[in-house]
Amino acid sequence: MRGRVLVIGAIVASLVLVGAYLAAGGSSYAPEKTQNPCKPRPWSNPQSLGEIANQFTNSALDGAACQLGVSRETLAQALATPEGRKRFAEKYGITDAKLAKAIRAGLIRAVDDAEEAGALSPLLATPLRATLQHIPLKEAIELIQDAKSLLGNVQSFLGPASGIIEQFLP
Amino acid sequence: MLVSFNLVMALAAVPAALLARRVGPGRAAAVGLAIFAGAGLACGLADSLSTLIVARCLQALGGAAAVTAALELLPAAVGSERRAATVWAAAGATGAALGPAIGGLLTELVSWQSIFLLQVPAALAAAVPILSVAKHEAATGVIEPELRRTGRPHVWANLALAMVSAAIAAALFLLVLLLIEGWRLSPIEAAAVVSVMPLAALAGARLSELVADARSRAAAGAILVSGGLAGLAFLPKATVALTVPPQILVGVGLSLVLSALTETALGGRAPQAIHGGWTISARHAGVVIGLLALTPIFTHDIAQQRHDAINAGTAVILDSPVNPLLKIDLAEKVSERLEEERGKVPTIGPAFEPLPSDPTERAEVVQLREELQDQLNRGATHAFSTSFLLAALLGLIALFPIALAREVEL
Repeated sequence: MRGRVLVIGAIVASLVLVGAYLAAGGSSYAPEKTQNPCKPRPWSNPQSLGEIANQFTNSALDGAACQLGVSRETLAQALATPEGRKRFAEKYGITDAKLAKAIRAGLIRAVDDAEEAGALSPLLATPLRATLQHIPLKEAIELIQDAKSLLGNVQSFLGPASGIIEQFLP
Repeated sequence: MLVSFNLVMALAAVPAALLARRVGPGRAAAVGLAIFAGAGLACGLADSLSTLIVARCLQALGGAAAVTAALELLPAAVGSERRAATVWAAAGATGAALGPAIGGLLTELVSWQSIFLLQVPAALAAAVPILSVAKHEAATGVIEPELRRTGRPHVWANLALAMVSAAIAAALFLLVLLLIEGWRLSPIEAAAVVSVMPLAALAGARLSELVADARSRAAAGAILVSGGLAGLAFLPKATVALTVPPQILVGVGLSLVLSALTETALGGRAPQAIHGGWTISARHAGVVIGLLALTPIFTHDIAQQRHDAINAGTAVILDSPVNPLLKIDLAEKVSERLEEERGKVPTIGPAFEPLPSDPTERAEVVQLREELQDQLNRGATHAFSTSFLLAALLGLIALFPIALAREVEL
Protein backbone atom coordinates (compact mmCIF):
# COMPACT_ATOMS: atom_id res chain seq x y z
CA MET A 1 0.00 0.00 0.00
CA ARG A 2 1.30 3.45 -0.81
CA GLY A 3 1.96 5.92 1.96
CA ARG A 4 -0.19 8.60 0.36
CA VAL A 5 -3.23 6.30 0.32
CA LEU A 6 -2.74 5.65 4.04
CA VAL A 7 -2.55 9.39 4.85
CA ILE A 8 -5.62 10.20 2.73
CA GLY A 9 -7.49 7.30 4.35
CA ALA A 10 -6.60 8.67 7.80
CA ILE A 11 -7.84 12.17 6.87
CA VAL A 12 -11.11 10.82 5.44
CA ALA A 13 -11.76 8.53 8.43
CA SER A 14 -11.12 11.40 10.87
CA LEU A 15 -13.31 13.87 8.98
CA VAL A 16 -16.16 11.38 8.63
CA LEU A 17 -16.11 10.60 12.35
CA VAL A 18 -15.93 14.23 13.50
CA GLY A 19 -18.50 15.30 10.89
CA ALA A 20 -20.94 12.57 11.95
CA TYR A 21 -20.59 13.45 15.64
CA LEU A 22 -21.04 17.16 14.96
CA ALA A 23 -24.10 16.46 12.80
CA ALA A 24 -25.54 14.37 15.64
CA GLY A 25 -25.26 17.35 18.01
CA GLY A 26 -21.79 16.79 19.47
CA SER A 27 -20.97 20.49 19.67
CA SER A 28 -24.04 21.29 21.78
CA TYR A 29 -24.08 18.25 24.08
CA ALA A 30 -23.75 20.27 27.28
CA PRO A 31 -26.05 21.15 30.19
CA GLU A 32 -28.97 23.40 29.18
CA LYS A 33 -28.34 27.09 29.81
CA THR A 34 -30.45 28.64 32.54
CA GLN A 35 -32.99 31.29 31.57
CA ASN A 36 -32.62 34.98 32.52
CA PRO A 37 -35.04 35.35 35.48
CA CYS A 38 -35.83 38.96 34.54
CA LYS A 39 -37.39 37.82 31.25
CA PRO A 40 -41.10 36.91 31.47
CA ARG A 41 -41.73 33.18 31.78
CA PRO A 42 -44.49 31.91 29.51
CA TRP A 43 -47.42 30.41 31.41
CA SER A 44 -49.14 27.38 29.97
CA ASN A 45 -52.86 26.89 30.46
CA PRO A 46 -53.06 25.35 33.93
CA GLN A 47 -55.32 22.32 34.20
CA SER A 48 -55.17 21.89 37.96
CA LEU A 49 -54.33 23.63 41.20
CA GLY A 50 -51.02 21.71 41.25
CA GLU A 51 -50.05 23.22 37.90
CA ILE A 52 -50.98 26.68 39.13
CA ALA A 53 -48.82 26.15 42.22
CA ASN A 54 -45.89 25.00 40.03
CA GLN A 55 -46.11 27.97 37.67
CA PHE A 56 -46.76 30.36 40.52
CA THR A 57 -43.65 29.07 42.35
CA ASN A 58 -41.51 29.43 39.21
CA SER A 59 -42.69 32.98 38.56
CA ALA A 60 -42.12 33.88 42.21
CA LEU A 61 -38.61 32.44 42.12
CA ASP A 62 -37.93 34.30 38.85
CA GLY A 63 -39.11 37.58 40.37
CA ALA A 64 -37.04 37.15 43.53
CA ALA A 65 -33.95 35.97 41.62
CA CYS A 66 -34.23 38.89 39.21
CA GLN A 67 -34.31 41.32 42.13
CA LEU A 68 -31.30 39.63 43.78
CA GLY A 69 -29.31 39.42 40.54
CA VAL A 70 -28.96 35.61 40.62
CA SER A 71 -30.49 32.81 38.56
CA ARG A 72 -33.77 31.17 39.52
CA GLU A 73 -31.87 27.89 39.94
CA THR A 74 -29.29 29.39 42.31
CA LEU A 75 -32.07 30.82 44.45
CA ALA A 76 -33.98 27.54 44.45
CA GLN A 77 -30.83 25.69 45.59
CA ALA A 78 -30.39 28.27 48.36
CA LEU A 79 -33.95 27.74 49.56
CA ALA A 80 -33.78 23.94 49.34
CA THR A 81 -31.84 23.42 52.58
CA PRO A 82 -30.67 25.55 55.53
CA GLU A 83 -27.03 24.77 54.56
CA GLY A 84 -27.76 25.95 51.02
CA ARG A 85 -29.24 29.21 52.34
CA LYS A 86 -26.17 29.74 54.54
CA ARG A 87 -23.77 29.16 51.62
CA PHE A 88 -25.87 31.47 49.45
CA ALA A 89 -25.80 34.22 52.08
CA GLU A 90 -22.00 33.91 52.43
CA LYS A 91 -21.34 33.82 48.69
CA TYR A 92 -23.60 36.69 47.65
CA GLY A 93 -23.66 38.69 50.91
CA ILE A 94 -27.49 38.57 51.01
CA THR A 95 -29.14 38.77 54.42
CA ASP A 96 -32.34 36.91 55.35
CA ALA A 97 -34.22 40.25 55.38
CA LYS A 98 -33.08 41.07 51.85
CA LEU A 99 -33.94 37.54 50.73
CA ALA A 100 -37.39 37.76 52.32
CA LYS A 101 -38.08 41.10 50.61
CA ALA A 102 -37.06 39.60 47.29
CA ILE A 103 -39.35 36.59 47.86
CA ARG A 104 -42.23 38.94 48.62
CA ALA A 105 -41.52 40.89 45.42
CA GLY A 106 -41.29 37.57 43.57
CA LEU A 107 -44.70 36.46 44.83
CA ILE A 108 -46.19 39.72 43.60
CA ARG A 109 -44.56 39.21 40.20
CA ALA A 110 -46.06 35.71 40.10
CA VAL A 111 -49.53 37.21 40.50
CA ASP A 112 -48.71 39.74 37.74
CA ASP A 113 -47.46 36.97 35.41
CA ALA A 114 -50.50 34.80 36.09
CA GLU A 115 -52.82 37.69 35.45
CA GLU A 116 -50.98 38.73 32.29
CA ALA A 117 -51.10 35.17 30.98
CA GLY A 118 -54.84 35.05 31.61
CA ALA A 119 -54.41 32.28 34.16
CA LEU A 120 -55.70 34.45 36.98
CA SER A 121 -58.68 36.75 36.79
CA PRO A 122 -58.07 40.42 37.70
CA LEU A 123 -60.91 39.97 40.22
CA LEU A 124 -58.70 37.54 42.11
CA ALA A 125 -55.28 39.02 41.27
CA THR A 126 -55.96 42.40 42.86
CA PRO A 127 -56.77 41.17 46.37
CA LEU A 128 -53.97 38.58 46.18
CA ARG A 129 -51.45 41.28 45.29
CA ALA A 130 -52.72 43.50 48.11
CA THR A 131 -52.41 40.67 50.63
CA LEU A 132 -48.87 39.85 49.50
CA GLN A 133 -47.78 43.48 49.67
CA HIS A 134 -48.81 43.56 53.29
CA ILE A 135 -47.01 40.41 54.48
CA PRO A 136 -44.90 41.68 57.39
CA LEU A 137 -41.16 41.28 56.87
CA LYS A 138 -40.87 39.10 60.01
CA GLU A 139 -43.39 36.64 58.57
CA ALA A 140 -41.70 36.79 55.20
CA ILE A 141 -38.40 35.80 56.83
CA GLU A 142 -40.13 32.86 58.54
CA LEU A 143 -41.43 31.85 55.13
CA ILE A 144 -37.94 31.34 53.74
CA GLN A 145 -36.65 29.19 56.62
CA ASP A 146 -37.11 26.18 54.39
CA ALA A 147 -38.63 25.48 51.03
CA LYS A 148 -41.31 23.15 52.34
CA SER A 149 -42.68 25.71 54.77
CA LEU A 150 -42.51 28.34 52.02
CA LEU A 151 -44.58 26.19 49.70
CA GLY A 152 -46.82 25.06 52.54
CA ASN A 153 -47.52 28.69 53.34
CA VAL A 154 -48.15 29.53 49.71
CA GLN A 155 -50.57 26.61 49.49
CA SER A 156 -52.32 27.51 52.71
CA PHE A 157 -52.49 31.04 51.41
CA LEU A 158 -53.99 29.82 48.16
CA GLY A 159 -56.06 27.17 49.98
CA PRO A 160 -59.10 29.23 50.97
CA ALA A 161 -59.12 30.69 47.49
CA SER A 162 -58.75 27.33 45.73
CA GLY A 163 -62.46 26.94 45.18
CA ILE A 164 -62.61 30.33 43.51
CA ILE A 165 -59.37 29.72 41.57
CA GLU A 166 -60.64 26.40 40.20
CA GLN A 167 -63.67 28.22 38.84
CA PHE A 168 -61.29 30.39 36.82
CA LEU A 169 -59.38 27.44 35.34
CA PRO A 170 -59.91 27.08 31.61
CA MET B 1 2.12 10.96 41.96
CA LEU B 2 0.50 10.79 38.54
CA VAL B 3 3.62 11.74 36.60
CA SER B 4 6.43 10.66 38.96
CA PHE B 5 7.10 7.44 37.04
CA ASN B 6 7.09 9.17 33.65
CA LEU B 7 9.23 12.05 34.90
CA VAL B 8 11.96 9.74 36.22
CA MET B 9 11.74 7.64 33.04
CA ALA B 10 12.20 10.77 30.92
CA LEU B 11 15.22 11.85 32.94
CA ALA B 12 16.82 8.44 33.44
CA ALA B 13 16.39 6.78 30.03
CA VAL B 14 19.50 8.19 28.32
CA PRO B 15 21.83 7.87 31.37
CA ALA B 16 20.52 4.32 31.83
CA ALA B 17 21.33 3.56 28.18
CA LEU B 18 24.85 4.96 28.63
CA LEU B 19 25.25 2.74 31.69
CA ALA B 20 24.05 -0.24 29.68
CA ARG B 21 26.75 0.52 27.10
CA ARG B 22 29.37 0.73 29.84
CA VAL B 23 28.54 -2.37 31.92
CA GLY B 24 26.93 -4.43 29.16
CA PRO B 25 23.24 -4.71 28.21
CA GLY B 26 22.80 -8.11 29.82
CA ARG B 27 23.96 -6.92 33.22
CA ALA B 28 22.09 -3.59 32.89
CA ALA B 29 18.86 -5.35 31.92
CA ALA B 30 19.18 -7.95 34.70
CA VAL B 31 19.87 -5.33 37.37
CA GLY B 32 17.17 -3.06 35.93
CA LEU B 33 14.59 -5.85 36.03
CA ALA B 34 15.60 -6.76 39.58
CA ILE B 35 15.17 -3.12 40.70
CA PHE B 36 11.86 -2.95 38.81
CA ALA B 37 10.62 -6.13 40.53
CA GLY B 38 11.77 -5.01 44.00
CA ALA B 39 10.25 -1.57 43.59
CA GLY B 40 7.05 -3.17 42.25
CA LEU B 41 6.83 -5.22 45.44
CA ALA B 42 7.33 -2.04 47.47
CA CYS B 43 4.53 -0.33 45.46
CA GLY B 44 2.17 -3.22 46.14
CA LEU B 45 2.90 -3.18 49.85
CA ALA B 46 3.10 0.62 50.22
CA ASP B 47 1.15 1.92 53.21
CA SER B 48 1.47 5.62 52.35
CA LEU B 49 1.41 7.84 49.30
CA SER B 50 5.00 8.97 49.82
CA THR B 51 6.24 5.35 49.92
CA LEU B 52 4.30 4.62 46.75
CA ILE B 53 5.80 7.64 44.96
CA VAL B 54 9.37 6.74 45.98
CA ALA B 55 8.83 3.12 44.92
CA ARG B 56 7.37 4.25 41.57
CA CYS B 57 10.43 6.43 40.98
CA LEU B 58 12.69 3.45 41.71
CA GLN B 59 10.60 1.35 39.33
CA ALA B 60 11.16 3.97 36.64
CA LEU B 61 14.94 3.79 37.19
CA GLY B 62 14.91 0.01 36.88
CA GLY B 63 12.53 0.16 33.94
CA ALA B 64 14.71 2.69 32.09
CA ALA B 65 17.74 0.41 32.43
CA ALA B 66 15.84 -2.71 31.36
CA VAL B 67 14.02 -1.16 28.39
CA THR B 68 17.04 0.59 26.86
CA ALA B 69 19.32 -2.41 27.41
CA ALA B 70 16.69 -4.64 25.78
CA LEU B 71 17.26 -2.80 22.52
CA GLU B 72 20.91 -3.87 22.60
CA LEU B 73 19.97 -7.46 23.36
CA LEU B 74 17.22 -7.80 20.76
CA PRO B 75 19.31 -7.97 17.55
CA ALA B 76 20.87 -11.25 18.69
CA ALA B 77 17.40 -12.63 19.34
CA VAL B 78 15.58 -11.41 16.21
CA GLY B 79 18.38 -11.42 13.66
CA SER B 80 19.02 -7.78 12.76
CA GLU B 81 19.12 -4.27 14.19
CA ARG B 82 16.29 -3.14 11.92
CA ARG B 83 14.06 -6.00 12.99
CA ALA B 84 15.05 -5.32 16.62
CA ALA B 85 14.01 -1.67 16.27
CA THR B 86 10.65 -2.69 14.75
CA VAL B 87 9.92 -5.25 17.46
CA TRP B 88 10.99 -2.86 20.23
CA ALA B 89 8.86 -0.02 18.82
CA ALA B 90 5.83 -2.29 18.37
CA ALA B 91 6.21 -3.60 21.94
CA GLY B 92 6.20 0.01 23.23
CA ALA B 93 3.05 0.87 21.25
CA THR B 94 1.24 -2.27 22.38
CA GLY B 95 2.19 -1.64 26.00
CA ALA B 96 0.87 1.92 25.83
CA ALA B 97 -2.46 0.67 24.48
CA LEU B 98 -2.81 -2.33 26.80
CA GLY B 99 -1.91 -0.60 30.07
CA PRO B 100 -5.25 1.04 31.01
CA ALA B 101 -7.32 -2.03 30.10
CA ILE B 102 -5.19 -4.44 32.15
CA GLY B 103 -4.93 -1.93 35.01
CA GLY B 104 -8.71 -1.48 35.19
CA LEU B 105 -9.30 -5.22 35.05
CA LEU B 106 -6.88 -5.96 37.91
CA THR B 107 -8.16 -3.04 40.01
CA GLU B 108 -11.72 -4.33 39.81
CA LEU B 109 -11.03 -8.08 40.03
CA VAL B 110 -8.31 -7.96 42.69
CA SER B 111 -6.99 -4.55 43.83
CA TRP B 112 -4.85 -1.70 42.57
CA GLN B 113 -1.94 -3.22 44.52
CA SER B 114 -2.20 -6.35 42.38
CA ILE B 115 -1.08 -4.33 39.32
CA PHE B 116 2.31 -3.87 40.99
CA LEU B 117 2.52 -7.27 42.67
CA LEU B 118 1.96 -9.04 39.34
CA GLN B 119 4.83 -7.05 37.85
CA VAL B 120 7.21 -8.81 40.26
CA PRO B 121 7.03 -12.35 38.77
CA ALA B 122 6.71 -10.88 35.25
CA ALA B 123 9.95 -8.88 35.65
CA LEU B 124 11.78 -11.80 37.28
CA ALA B 125 10.64 -14.14 34.50
CA ALA B 126 11.97 -11.67 31.91
CA ALA B 127 15.30 -11.56 33.75
CA VAL B 128 15.86 -15.35 33.62
CA PRO B 129 16.93 -15.61 29.94
CA ILE B 130 19.10 -12.51 30.33
CA LEU B 131 21.12 -13.98 33.21
CA SER B 132 23.32 -16.07 30.93
CA VAL B 133 24.17 -12.95 28.87
CA ALA B 134 24.92 -11.06 32.08
CA LYS B 135 27.19 -13.89 33.29
CA HIS B 136 29.04 -13.88 29.98
CA GLU B 137 29.51 -10.09 30.21
CA ALA B 138 30.79 -10.44 33.76
CA ALA B 139 33.32 -12.98 32.55
CA THR B 140 34.51 -11.08 29.45
CA GLY B 141 34.05 -7.64 30.99
CA VAL B 142 34.30 -4.93 28.37
CA ILE B 143 32.41 -3.39 25.49
CA GLU B 144 34.38 -2.56 22.37
CA PRO B 145 35.48 1.08 22.59
CA GLU B 146 34.22 2.09 19.11
CA LEU B 147 30.68 1.23 20.09
CA ARG B 148 30.79 3.79 22.87
CA ARG B 149 30.65 6.62 20.34
CA THR B 150 27.17 8.08 20.20
CA GLY B 151 25.67 10.14 17.42
CA ARG B 152 23.27 13.06 17.84
CA PRO B 153 19.65 12.11 18.55
CA HIS B 154 17.03 12.51 15.80
CA VAL B 155 15.55 15.79 17.02
CA TRP B 156 12.42 15.95 14.81
CA ALA B 157 11.40 12.33 15.31
CA ASN B 158 11.87 12.63 19.07
CA LEU B 159 10.00 15.94 19.19
CA ALA B 160 7.12 14.40 17.25
CA LEU B 161 7.19 11.40 19.60
CA ALA B 162 6.89 13.73 22.60
CA MET B 163 3.88 15.55 21.12
CA VAL B 164 2.09 12.43 19.99
CA SER B 165 2.77 10.76 23.35
CA ALA B 166 1.23 13.75 25.12
CA ALA B 167 -1.88 13.36 22.96
CA ILE B 168 -2.05 9.59 23.48
CA ALA B 169 -1.54 9.85 27.25
CA ALA B 170 -4.36 12.37 27.35
CA ALA B 171 -6.57 10.04 25.29
CA LEU B 172 -6.00 7.09 27.61
CA PHE B 173 -6.09 9.01 30.87
CA LEU B 174 -9.05 11.27 30.03
CA LEU B 175 -11.15 8.48 28.56
CA VAL B 176 -10.68 6.28 31.64
CA LEU B 177 -11.52 9.25 33.86
CA LEU B 178 -14.61 10.09 31.77
CA LEU B 179 -15.87 6.52 31.98
CA ILE B 180 -15.25 6.02 35.71
CA GLU B 181 -15.72 9.48 37.24
CA GLY B 182 -18.06 10.97 34.66
CA TRP B 183 -20.29 8.12 33.55
CA ARG B 184 -19.86 6.14 36.80
CA LEU B 185 -18.71 2.89 35.17
CA SER B 186 -16.88 0.41 37.39
CA PRO B 187 -13.12 -0.06 36.69
CA ILE B 188 -13.80 -3.44 35.08
CA GLU B 189 -16.46 -1.98 32.81
CA ALA B 190 -14.13 0.87 31.90
CA ALA B 191 -11.34 -1.65 31.23
CA ALA B 192 -13.65 -3.57 28.90
CA VAL B 193 -14.54 -0.36 27.07
CA VAL B 194 -10.95 0.85 26.60
CA SER B 195 -9.81 -2.60 25.47
CA VAL B 196 -11.02 -1.43 22.04
CA MET B 197 -7.82 0.60 21.77
CA PRO B 198 -5.28 -2.25 22.11
CA LEU B 199 -7.37 -4.39 19.75
CA ALA B 200 -7.33 -1.57 17.21
CA ALA B 201 -3.60 -1.14 17.84
CA LEU B 202 -3.10 -4.76 16.77
CA ALA B 203 -4.90 -3.96 13.50
CA GLY B 204 -2.69 -0.88 13.19
CA ALA B 205 0.41 -3.06 13.56
CA ARG B 206 -0.75 -5.21 10.60
CA LEU B 207 -1.37 -2.03 8.60
CA SER B 208 2.16 -0.85 9.47
CA GLU B 209 3.63 -3.88 7.77
CA LEU B 210 1.91 -2.96 4.49
CA VAL B 211 3.47 0.51 4.19
CA ALA B 212 7.23 0.89 4.02
CA ASP B 213 7.39 4.68 4.23
CA ALA B 214 7.77 5.54 7.94
CA ARG B 215 6.93 9.22 7.44
CA SER B 216 3.57 8.41 5.85
CA ARG B 217 2.81 5.94 8.63
CA ALA B 218 3.71 8.52 11.24
CA ALA B 219 1.59 11.23 9.57
CA ALA B 220 -1.39 8.91 9.10
CA GLY B 221 -1.06 7.76 12.71
CA ALA B 222 -0.92 11.31 14.09
CA ILE B 223 -3.98 12.27 12.01
CA LEU B 224 -5.92 9.24 13.25
CA VAL B 225 -5.00 9.93 16.87
CA SER B 226 -6.13 13.55 16.45
CA GLY B 227 -9.31 12.52 14.64
CA GLY B 228 -10.17 10.04 17.39
CA LEU B 229 -9.52 12.62 20.09
CA ALA B 230 -11.67 15.19 18.25
CA GLY B 231 -14.40 12.54 18.06
CA LEU B 232 -14.20 12.08 21.83
CA ALA B 233 -14.41 15.87 22.23
CA PHE B 234 -17.65 15.97 20.24
CA LEU B 235 -19.50 12.96 21.67
CA PRO B 236 -23.18 13.59 20.89
CA LYS B 237 -24.43 11.46 23.79
CA ALA B 238 -23.10 9.84 26.95
CA THR B 239 -23.15 6.34 25.48
CA VAL B 240 -20.30 3.85 25.66
CA ALA B 241 -20.93 2.67 22.08
CA LEU B 242 -20.10 6.14 20.76
CA THR B 243 -16.59 5.93 22.24
CA VAL B 244 -15.81 2.88 20.10
CA PRO B 245 -15.21 4.57 16.69
CA PRO B 246 -12.90 7.26 18.19
CA GLN B 247 -11.03 4.57 20.12
CA ILE B 248 -10.52 2.58 16.93
CA LEU B 249 -8.97 5.64 15.30
CA VAL B 250 -6.74 6.35 18.32
CA GLY B 251 -5.69 2.69 18.62
CA VAL B 252 -4.78 2.26 14.95
CA GLY B 253 -3.16 5.71 14.96
CA LEU B 254 -1.00 5.16 18.02
CA SER B 255 0.28 1.86 16.69
CA LEU B 256 1.21 3.48 13.35
CA VAL B 257 2.75 6.66 14.72
CA LEU B 258 4.69 5.34 17.72
CA SER B 259 6.35 2.53 15.80
CA ALA B 260 7.09 4.70 12.73
CA LEU B 261 8.62 7.53 14.77
CA THR B 262 10.65 5.17 16.96
CA GLU B 263 12.00 3.42 13.87
CA THR B 264 12.82 6.82 12.33
CA ALA B 265 14.56 7.98 15.51
CA LEU B 266 16.65 4.80 15.59
CA GLY B 267 17.24 4.51 11.84
CA GLY B 268 20.93 4.67 10.90
CA ARG B 269 21.93 5.61 14.40
CA ALA B 270 24.24 3.65 16.68
CA PRO B 271 24.41 2.57 19.34
CA GLN B 272 20.71 1.74 19.41
CA ALA B 273 20.41 1.68 23.20
CA ILE B 274 21.35 5.37 23.43
CA HIS B 275 18.91 6.41 20.69
CA GLY B 276 16.30 4.11 22.14
CA GLY B 277 16.91 5.96 25.38
CA TRP B 278 16.19 9.25 23.64
CA THR B 279 12.89 7.89 22.29
CA ILE B 280 11.89 6.62 25.75
CA SER B 281 12.85 9.98 27.20
CA ALA B 282 10.84 11.85 24.54
CA ARG B 283 7.77 9.66 25.00
CA HIS B 284 7.70 9.97 28.77
CA ALA B 285 8.50 13.69 28.67
CA GLY B 286 5.49 14.01 26.34
CA VAL B 287 3.30 12.13 28.81
CA VAL B 288 4.46 14.41 31.65
CA ILE B 289 3.87 17.57 29.63
CA GLY B 290 0.50 16.37 28.35
CA LEU B 291 -0.82 15.44 31.79
CA LEU B 292 0.59 18.54 33.51
CA ALA B 293 -0.82 20.83 30.83
CA LEU B 294 -4.26 19.23 30.62
CA THR B 295 -4.91 18.39 34.29
CA PRO B 296 -5.64 21.99 35.41
CA ILE B 297 -7.83 22.51 32.33
CA PHE B 298 -10.08 19.51 32.85
CA THR B 299 -10.10 19.98 36.64
CA HIS B 300 -11.46 23.50 36.09
CA ASP B 301 -13.88 22.28 33.42
CA ILE B 302 -15.20 19.48 35.65
CA ALA B 303 -15.98 21.99 38.43
CA GLN B 304 -17.62 24.38 35.93
CA GLN B 305 -19.67 21.66 34.24
CA ARG B 306 -20.75 20.23 37.60
CA HIS B 307 -22.05 23.68 38.50
CA ASP B 308 -23.79 24.08 35.12
CA ALA B 309 -25.26 20.56 35.31
CA ILE B 310 -26.63 21.17 38.82
CA ASN B 311 -28.22 24.42 37.65
CA ALA B 312 -29.69 22.72 34.59
CA GLY B 313 -30.90 19.86 36.82
CA THR B 314 -32.52 22.35 39.18
CA ALA B 315 -34.30 23.90 36.20
CA VAL B 316 -35.53 20.44 35.19
CA ILE B 317 -36.91 19.87 38.70
CA LEU B 318 -38.56 23.30 38.85
CA ASP B 319 -40.15 22.94 35.42
CA SER B 320 -41.36 19.37 35.91
CA PRO B 321 -45.09 18.79 36.38
CA VAL B 322 -44.49 16.74 39.57
CA ASN B 323 -46.57 17.75 42.60
CA PRO B 324 -44.77 20.70 44.25
CA LEU B 325 -44.47 19.12 47.72
CA LEU B 326 -43.13 15.86 46.29
CA LYS B 327 -40.81 17.95 44.13
CA ILE B 328 -39.34 19.61 47.21
CA ASP B 329 -38.84 16.21 48.86
CA LEU B 330 -36.97 15.04 45.76
CA ALA B 331 -34.95 18.26 45.56
CA GLU B 332 -33.88 17.80 49.21
CA LYS B 333 -32.80 14.21 48.57
CA VAL B 334 -30.93 15.21 45.39
CA SER B 335 -29.24 18.01 47.38
CA GLU B 336 -28.17 15.44 49.98
CA ARG B 337 -26.66 13.29 47.21
CA LEU B 338 -24.77 16.33 45.93
CA GLU B 339 -23.48 17.06 49.44
CA GLU B 340 -22.42 13.42 49.95
CA GLU B 341 -20.59 13.25 46.64
CA ARG B 342 -19.23 16.77 46.67
CA GLY B 343 -16.69 17.26 43.86
CA LYS B 344 -17.92 14.19 41.94
CA VAL B 345 -20.69 13.59 39.46
CA PRO B 346 -23.44 12.30 41.78
CA THR B 347 -25.45 9.11 41.38
CA ILE B 348 -28.98 10.44 41.72
CA GLY B 349 -30.96 7.19 41.33
CA PRO B 350 -31.28 6.53 45.11
CA ALA B 351 -32.78 10.02 45.63
CA PHE B 352 -35.85 8.90 43.65
CA GLU B 353 -36.50 5.74 45.69
CA PRO B 354 -39.13 4.65 46.54
CA LEU B 355 -41.14 5.68 43.48
CA PRO B 356 -44.69 6.96 44.11
CA SER B 357 -47.45 4.35 43.90
CA ASP B 358 -49.79 6.55 41.83
CA PRO B 359 -49.13 5.63 38.15
CA THR B 360 -49.32 9.22 36.84
CA GLU B 361 -47.06 10.55 39.57
CA ARG B 362 -44.68 7.62 39.12
CA ALA B 363 -44.39 8.33 35.38
CA GLU B 364 -43.70 12.01 36.08
CA VAL B 365 -41.02 11.17 38.66
CA VAL B 366 -39.35 8.63 36.34
CA GLN B 367 -39.27 11.21 33.56
CA LEU B 368 -37.85 13.80 35.95
CA ARG B 369 -35.12 11.34 37.04
CA GLU B 370 -34.18 10.65 33.41
CA GLU B 371 -34.08 14.33 32.50
CA LEU B 372 -31.99 15.12 35.56
CA GLN B 373 -29.56 12.28 34.79
CA ASP B 374 -29.34 13.54 31.20
CA GLN B 375 -28.22 16.98 32.41
CA LEU B 376 -25.59 15.41 34.68
CA ASN B 377 -24.36 13.19 31.82
CA ARG B 378 -24.15 16.22 29.55
CA GLY B 379 -22.06 18.07 32.13
CA ALA B 380 -19.78 15.08 32.80
CA THR B 381 -19.18 14.55 29.08
CA HIS B 382 -18.76 18.19 28.14
CA ALA B 383 -16.23 18.66 30.98
CA PHE B 384 -13.69 16.66 28.95
CA SER B 385 -14.35 18.30 25.55
CA THR B 386 -11.76 21.08 25.74
CA SER B 387 -9.06 18.72 27.04
CA PHE B 388 -9.74 16.18 24.28
CA LEU B 389 -9.65 18.98 21.69
CA LEU B 390 -6.35 20.33 23.00
CA ALA B 391 -4.90 16.82 22.95
CA ALA B 392 -6.10 16.48 19.34
CA LEU B 393 -4.36 19.74 18.55
CA LEU B 394 -1.10 18.37 20.01
CA GLY B 395 -1.41 15.39 17.68
CA LEU B 396 -1.89 17.69 14.70
CA ILE B 397 1.05 19.92 15.70
CA ALA B 398 3.20 16.77 15.69
CA LEU B 399 2.69 16.73 11.90
CA PHE B 400 5.22 19.57 11.57
CA PRO B 401 8.20 17.70 13.07
CA ILE B 402 6.98 14.57 11.24
CA ALA B 403 7.19 16.48 7.96
CA LEU B 404 10.74 17.55 8.84
CA ALA B 405 11.86 14.11 10.03
CA ARG B 406 14.06 12.42 7.44
CA GLU B 407 14.24 8.68 7.58
CA VAL B 408 17.73 7.18 7.45
CA GLU B 409 18.04 3.57 6.38
CA LEU B 410 19.74 1.27 8.82
